[in-house]
Amino acid sequence: MKPKKEVQGPTISAPVSSDRWLVGMTMGFLLAVLAFFMLYPVYDICKLSFLKGGTFTLQNYQSYFSNPRMFRSLTNSLYVAIVTTVITTISAFFFAYGLTRTTIPGKNIFYTVSTFPLIAPSIIQGLALILLFGRNGLITRHLLNTDWNIYGATGIIVAECLYCFPNALFILYTTLSAVDTRLDEAAQSLGASALKTFFKVTLPSAKYGIASAAALVFNLTITDFGVPVVIGGNYSVLATEIYQQVIGMQRFDLGATISVILLIPSVGAFLLNYYLTKKSYALISGQARPFLQPSRPFKKWAFTIYCWIPTTFILIVFITVFAGSFVKTWPYDFTLTLKHFDFPSLGGNAPLWTKFWASVLDGQWKSLIAYKYAPIWNSLWVSVLVALGGASLTLLAGYIVEKKRPRGVGILYTLSVLPAAIPGTVMGLGYILAFNKPYFFIYGTFWIIIINIIICNFTLGTLSSIANLKQIDRSIEEAAISLGADPIKSFTQVVFPLTKTAFFSNITFFFMRAMTTISAVIFLVSAKVKLAAIEIIFLDIDGRTASANAMCTIIIILVVAMLVAMRLITGKSGLKGMSATA
Amino acid sequence: MGRNLRLENLTKRFGNLTAVDHVNLEIEEGEFICFLGPSGCGKTTVLRMITGFETVTEGKIIFDGKVINDLIPQKREFGIVFQSYALFPNMTVEENIAFGLKVRKRPKKEIEERVDQMLDLVGLREWRKLYPAQLSGGQQQRVALVRALAPDPQVLLLDEPLSALDAKIRVRLRAEIKRLQQELKKTMIYVTHDQEEALSIADRVVVMEAGQFRQVGRPVEIYQSPNSSFVADFVGTSNFFRGVRNGDRVQTERRDFRIARFESLPEREVFLAIRPEKIEVFKLGEFPEGVEKSNLARGRIDVITFLGAAVRLTINLEGEEVISDIIEREFSRKEFRQGEEVHLYFPPESFMVFSAKEGSR
Repeated sequence: MKPKKEVQGPTISAPVSSDRWLVGMTMGFLLAVLAFFMLYPVYDICKLSFLKGGTFTLQNYQSYFSNPRMFRSLTNSLYVAIVTTVITTISAFFFAYGLTRTTIPGKNIFYTVSTFPLIAPSIIQGLALILLFGRNGLITRHLLNTDWNIYGATGIIVAECLYCFPNALFILYTTLSAVDTRLDEAAQSLGASALKTFFKVTLPSAKYGIASAAALVFNLTITDFGVPVVIGGNYSVLATEIYQQVIGMQRFDLGATISVILLIPSVGAFLLNYYLTKKSYALISGQARPFLQPSRPFKKWAFTIYCWIPTTFILIVFITVFAGSFVKTWPYDFTLTLKHFDFPSLGGNAPLWTKFWASVLDGQWKSLIAYKYAPIWNSLWVSVLVALGGASLTLLAGYIVEKKRPRGVGILYTLSVLPAAIPGTVMGLGYILAFNKPYFFIYGTFWIIIINIIICNFTLGTLSSIANLKQIDRSIEEAAISLGADPIKSFTQVVFPLTKTAFFSNITFFFMRAMTTISAVIFLVSAKVKLAAIEIIFLDIDGRTASANAMCTIIIILVVAMLVAMRLITGKSGLKGMSATA
Repeated sequence: MGRNLRLENLTKRFGNLTAVDHVNLEIEEGEFICFLGPSGCGKTTVLRMITGFETVTEGKIIFDGKVINDLIPQKREFGIVFQSYALFPNMTVEENIAFGLKVRKRPKKEIEERVDQMLDLVGLREWRKLYPAQLSGGQQQRVALVRALAPDPQVLLLDEPLSALDAKIRVRLRAEIKRLQQELKKTMIYVTHDQEEALSIADRVVVMEAGQFRQVGRPVEIYQSPNSSFVADFVGTSNFFRGVRNGDRVQTERRDFRIARFESLPEREVFLAIRPEKIEVFKLGEFPEGVEKSNLARGRIDVITFLGAAVRLTINLEGEEVISDIIEREFSRKEFRQGEEVHLYFPPESFMVFSAKEGSR
């Protein structure tokens, strides 16, 4: 068939660009933010480590590797990270196996308690271990009266295992509950023994999940700053060595060099994790799982007892730190007191807060609330802004990546998931190098901290937004558009209401991270700008262990209050499926 | 002349793949057009280009005399009904229906009246306060239908709207859509892979294959006079024979049929096709009188499939399988049995003849 005649009608084309223009603008904005606040600082670090007087040189690396004290931080980091990875992955695997493949009682308790480490700064594990096994530890000094203490590699490993446990558990739990249990049943019906089934069917089908959990634990451990700084003693690791060189010795060039060295294993583990997660999804079958058969008594008891072990450890950590913040002199005088909550002259000034309370209160209360509690107030409103900003930006990024897919969306996706690969300490140092310039007016204010926390946690926020948006049928939005809604209306009236739950759980996630994060922010705080989580470290360094515990307790209470509030608002627990990767 | 929709050399390529290949069609205002074709034939892509959700690679979409290729979907004023209903789960039935009016900022009173009118149209007045998840599939699709109609679109596009529903509801809703279309005199473009649906609902059917329009015509034309062996096979059922034409005779592997309709086919290699209901079946005793002897054949009933009003006989003609449909009354009267030997008669005027080159059969 040939067209009968050419139509020379007017061509209507102008409005088409408005939609694309809006998407393009939003993507351009996100790209600019990520490039400026993530790539640029990292670029500055690389530049500083390789350039001296404008020429390329490996001199910094030479001095790093030729100084045995500094070089030891690399081997130490690797040692600690590898041991932690092995222990955590194996123990979390059997824990997840118990929760998904057996009919043990108390699964809810096990699951809930195992998520506790996520609501506190990583440092809490270190504080608890010091209270129990430190120089003045309840167990080491008081009960056993020994001179042995946990400072050093042992302490770091134990603390990191506890800290990383929920992160590994989430991945393994998902893997094991997604892999079809009928494979196991098929193997057994074909005559394979239980043990053989486990090694030939269960384990291979979960292999990508296991490897991905291991890569995540490795990444978390090698980049963590909070634990080694309180319990490491003289045992230096890469993350603390960066801080030592920069803040202690003002050697920015060496700090940058160690940062680049730390980036290698961290980015490697991240890429491995990313690759394995993709592979592991391919193994997940969407079919409904049949009813779980009751486990045999021996299996049931063995797993019940086993699951209580990490659960008890985690409970002990929290109880110890709570107790440590309420007793007079740990471990000698267990009289209850609130005096540790009267923080020793933290000082600091919080916008609005200090002014308001200083005008309302008098005397002792004035100094306590208006000044001493200023860092807590700071942390709170920083966290609220991070939560709102982070959840919104990652929802937008997820929306563009998943639903709009404009040209160049691959770049946005890559930049959005990349922050998880960059250790917090590296990001923190990068911020100093990139933004500590007189014309960069937000440096030294809370705004740089807020931006930093949002960027550092961008990965998980974006990934969970994408996962949620995937569930919205494409035709729903097309229906709105065909009914005449413009892009903004279809987003605000249709897409956003459908992603509300995910948005709220992202708010919770960003709030939690902002309240508990240490590694990047420690470079950005100052005498004027203080945050509660960072104060824990300074209190601990000052030897005010009890007050450090008290501060930790306050943070936990605030985070729990937030979780409860979110649960009341959305009717859903905000913790499910949420693991920290940055 | 009304506001016609015209496709001119419309083409869509995804990389190297040509999904829609230079198609042309003029759809008149108030017409009910059905795109029919197997999955992957490009029918949904044509629809999506008309809606504006897919860009046009080449050619033009002309509505009311204007080229609308680059007009954004929300400015086209075309309503769409989706296979997955695509109701907004966060809004009630009436909020869903009112959505298109609200975004157009119509007065509140007008919106209320229009929503009532729409609910009455599909008899869902008492369901207005419920959420989509509380409705059955058929009810949801009714809501989706009037939601699309509420802003009074110029054209209503329906993308396999019934294929997610079960058979009974599908037939009922099909009739309802046809009734609505006749009442409202709205231009509707309906995409389906179900030939029965297409034939029963449309004013004109467009049969698509491999990105091209194979035949455009009224349902009865498509069924009775398919222009290719593909259409004869895809729309309805046909028995095929390959053979060589010589004047009004076609020599197949085993037989020599006389044919009556062969127009101007130059090829000697042809396909003969005949609908199952056109083949007459006789008991061995009652030999038909005054018929073309060469179009008679003897065979054995292999399978009897009861279809309800009709009965399908699968008959083995010395190795060739032929399907014949006879009405149930005749079947009962003649008491056919499985394994029975019968005579078949292929009326010369019932044969459709196609060039053997174009088909792949």
